[in-house]
Amino acid sequence: MQIDLLYKPSHTLARAVLQPGEGVRAESGAMVGMSPSLALSTDGPMAGGGFFKKLKRAVLSGETFFTNTFTATRAPGEVLLAPPLCGDMCVHDVRPGERLVIQGSNYVASPDTIDVDTQFQGFRRFFSGQSLFFLTAAGRGQVLLNGFGAIEALDLGEPYPDGRGRLLDTDELVLDTGHLVALTEGLDYEVTTVKAGLIASYFSGEGFVLRVRGRGRVYVQTRNREAFGRDVGSALPAKQQ
Amino acid sequence: MKFEILDAPDFGCLRVRFDGAGEQLVAEAGAMVSMSSGLKLETKARGGLLAAAKRSVLGGESFFQNSYTSTGAGQEIILASGMEGDLREHALDVGQTLFLTGGNYLAHVGERFTVDTQFGGVKGLFSGTGLFLLRLSGPGTVFFNAYGALHEVDVGPEGYVVDTDHIVGFSDSLRYELRRFNGTKGLFASGEGFVCHFSGPGKLWLQTRSPRSLARFLDPFRPVEQSSSGGS
Repeated sequence: MQIDLLYKPSHTLARAVLQPGEGVRAESGAMVGMSPSLALSTDGPMAGGGFFKKLKRAVLSGETFFTNTFTATRAPGEVLLAPPLCGDMCVHDVRPGERLVIQGSNYVASPDTIDVDTQFQGFRRFFSGQSLFFLTAAGRGQVLLNGFGAIEALDLGEPYPDGRGRLLDTDELVLDTGHLVALTEGLDYEVTTVKAGLIASYFSGEGFVLRVRGRGRVYVQTRNREAFGRDVGSALPAKQQ
Repeated sequence: MKFEILDAPDFGCLRVRFDGAGEQLVAEAGAMVSMSSGLKLETKARGGLLAAAKRSVLGGESFFQNSYTSTGAGQEIILASGMEGDLREHALDVGQTLFLTGGNYLAHVGERFTVDTQFGGVKGLFSGTGLFLLRLSGPGTVFFNAYGALHEVDVGPEGYVVDTDHIVGFSDSLRYELRRFNGTKGLFASGEGFVCHFSGPGKLWLQTRSPRSLARFLDPFRPVEQSSSGGS
């Protein structure tokens, strides 16, 4: 599967070109256009089985994660994919034995050779009552990620083998959780407050942060979806209960 | 008149420079960013301003246009749409027709160029998906914009399937069929998830972002009105 990223960096469109036999799984709202010859299947509650059990908690917590799988059968075909917000997309090559941990809303697509697992790891935000929703991607192949705004690829400990990151001159990265796109699983990470004490942290406006150490790659988006949603949404007319 | 597209593909705007008096440009109402004070401005709407205002207030489709006429050489105007994104110039010969979504029309030139808002068939079909279509016919040049980048598809006989929220425009030579998209958006969406199967030959323009997706993202963040009924 070949992924081309067009019209970077602000309104990026991904074009996945599939050879016969290849399939791509994509977040269900991401499809912009496609060759009509592609076969389509849905991985959602309708599909039943184990996937639905994993999804149930996501659905009940207000997050939804449905995917469609597009497969080229007799002829090559393409799918055009885009996220809902403005910004960029990037491709991460998953290495065997190293899972990528992805913030749920930043996943766009991956070939069907990649195993996508829905994990619910808390990182609960006490004040908003919402949990962050993570996926993991494992296997061999590419994962297409989106970022709200621009995407920065940051390397901790040593340059990541793809040579596409910026090596940080620090042992520990402190990152606002809303700005996390994805990170490689070999890193150590924990969610803490940026200042001592919950009250002080709340008033600092910085809420919860991720502290990341070790060796690996962290993808960061330069805008925060929740902050944007709150800032603009609060200015919109109220809706009925 | 000279046309220049500035700041595309992210914040495209159109700069028009008039060569002499009496030249005319028609643009969507609200598109003017800046202009020379000598330009004469007239506002038009189908059925008259009052009828269009009524439609607008009562939630129907309305389409207001301003016409700008130069009174001397060297005057200029800059136009931009409400959405961030790309901008394209497209010429239509006599008899050539293009369908364009209303929100993506910016401006046109050509005395005999027509912008039709009331027509049957294709328009009614697409209005079920929330798309407000215009029918444009040459001779003349139209300027249209996108939310995000403009992606052009040359559609052949084998066709192309697109999410209707991303349609900007298409040549009238294309055949089209609307369908619900299998499995889209799960259990919670309604009135969404239409795709259009186009078959060619012809051209199709798509935008890489959709205003509806942004609206859907923002909707959960709206304040909730506490209902005052229920007593206490």
